[in-house]
Amino acid sequence: MIDVAKIDYWAASGSGPLHRASVISKTLFLLLVVAAAVAAKDPYPLASGYVVLMLSAAGAGLPWRRMSLISLYSATFALLYGISLRGGPAMYAVMVLKAITPAFAMLTLIVSTPYPKIFSFLSTVLPEILAAGLFMTYRTFFILLDMMDNFVAAIRLRGGFSPGRLLQNIKNISQGIAMLLVKAVERATRLYGVMAVRGYSGSMAEAGTGGFRRDDWLPLGSGALVLFLVLVWR
Amino acid sequence: MTHIHIPDGILPVPLWALGFVLLFIALGLSLFRLRAMDMRKKIPLLGAVSAVMLVAMSLEILPIAYHINLSVVAGILLGPALGFVAAFIANLVLSLMGHGGITVIGLNTVLLGSEALLGHTLFYLLRGRMQIFWRAFLVTVVSLFLVTLLLIGMVAVSDLDPGYFTHEAEQGHAFKGHISIATFATLALSLGSIGWLIEAAITGSVLKFIAQVKPELLSHVLHSRNKAGGLS
Repeated sequence: MIDVAKIDYWAASGSGPLHRASVISKTLFLLLVVAAAVAAKDPYPLASGYVVLMLSAAGAGLPWRRMSLISLYSATFALLYGISLRGGPAMYAVMVLKAITPAFAMLTLIVSTPYPKIFSFLSTVLPEILAAGLFMTYRTFFILLDMMDNFVAAIRLRGGFSPGRLLQNIKNISQGIAMLLVKAVERATRLYGVMAVRGYSGSMAEAGTGGFRRDDWLPLGSGALVLFLVLVWR
Repeated sequence: MTHIHIPDGILPVPLWALGFVLLFIALGLSLFRLRAMDMRKKIPLLGAVSAVMLVAMSLEILPIAYHINLSVVAGILLGPALGFVAAFIANLVLSLMGHGGITVIGLNTVLLGSEALLGHTLFYLLRGRMQIFWRAFLVTVVSLFLVTLLLIGMVAVSDLDPGYFTHEAEQGHAFKGHISIATFATLALSLGSIGWLIEAAITGSVLKFIAQVKPELLSHVLHSRNKAGGLS
């Protein structure tokens, strides 16, 4: 599963062109790649687009190998869906690429942008409650995943999960989720309290899009190239 | 069963565009209702419940490979308006992780948000009439049943093979060739009912636990519009 501490480290410690690019250009880059995934009908242009994204990430000094591995997480659902359509290898490839290409673009955004900048940008385009809710969810989610992993490991070690015992599985999962929910509320309340004490009043300190910069050529260029490949290569 | 996991570029544009129109209307109404609420209580709760929904969606229940949504729990704890916002946040984060396309966020939020709305309304309508476990159980089954009917209606108005929409299709045991809307409805309601019972049992257990350990989360005071001043 994704390690938020590592993502935070990559986002805050890099100094390549993607780190220097503005948040708005990287958001446009993401939208261009999503548009390419929506428009794609063949696997080859999208596969080429995925390679373009990997090359731009590698060129910018991002951990592109780890990002590729993480993006494959989304392939599981897409592959199962593709298999269900019974359309052959080309169909499976399109489905997988439609999932992993936007996922890689999303990873490019989050590993090259410190999260306060992302949420600052979001707070300029979204209502405050949505931006604040997304922020709290983001910070709480990865903490909870870690807690849930520990819970699942403990239950498995004690024989609490077994494919043939559905009722027992449901009972154990319910207890884990209930405990998680109570702990999540406590942690989120504490986090929000700490933020409020430090002056948080519903918007990020550096709210704003920041405008375009010289280094925006890389995200905008690579996003446009991915869309161009899909639209032209038919 | 009540949300769509398919990647971008599969659904017809008018269908997902309609999903976004409905999303914006419902989200606008929700935010309008939330404008006078005490956000110091709501924001941490919104973040916590949305995060737990995401974690729950990442868990598979063996042996039927079903995953729960907890949208009814979100509706009961957060109220209909904030529950809808939680459904939007959960779907947005999921789609950014590749769990369903970005273009289906609108439709998925409408489906999960409807579960939250129904769950909250029915749960408080039945207040004091039965034990919390059974109340939550019943409310979840009814909400999921009604939202599955909404999903079937959605499929009926699209031009796609209904087999595309099924969770069973995702698990690799899909149906060969085109299936009719009647067949899809039968499959969705019969196979989906197993999922509803699982989700209902989990929802009942979770709410029973909360009622014992942190009953203030179920208090109606949290849902009242008793404090002005936005987030501050």
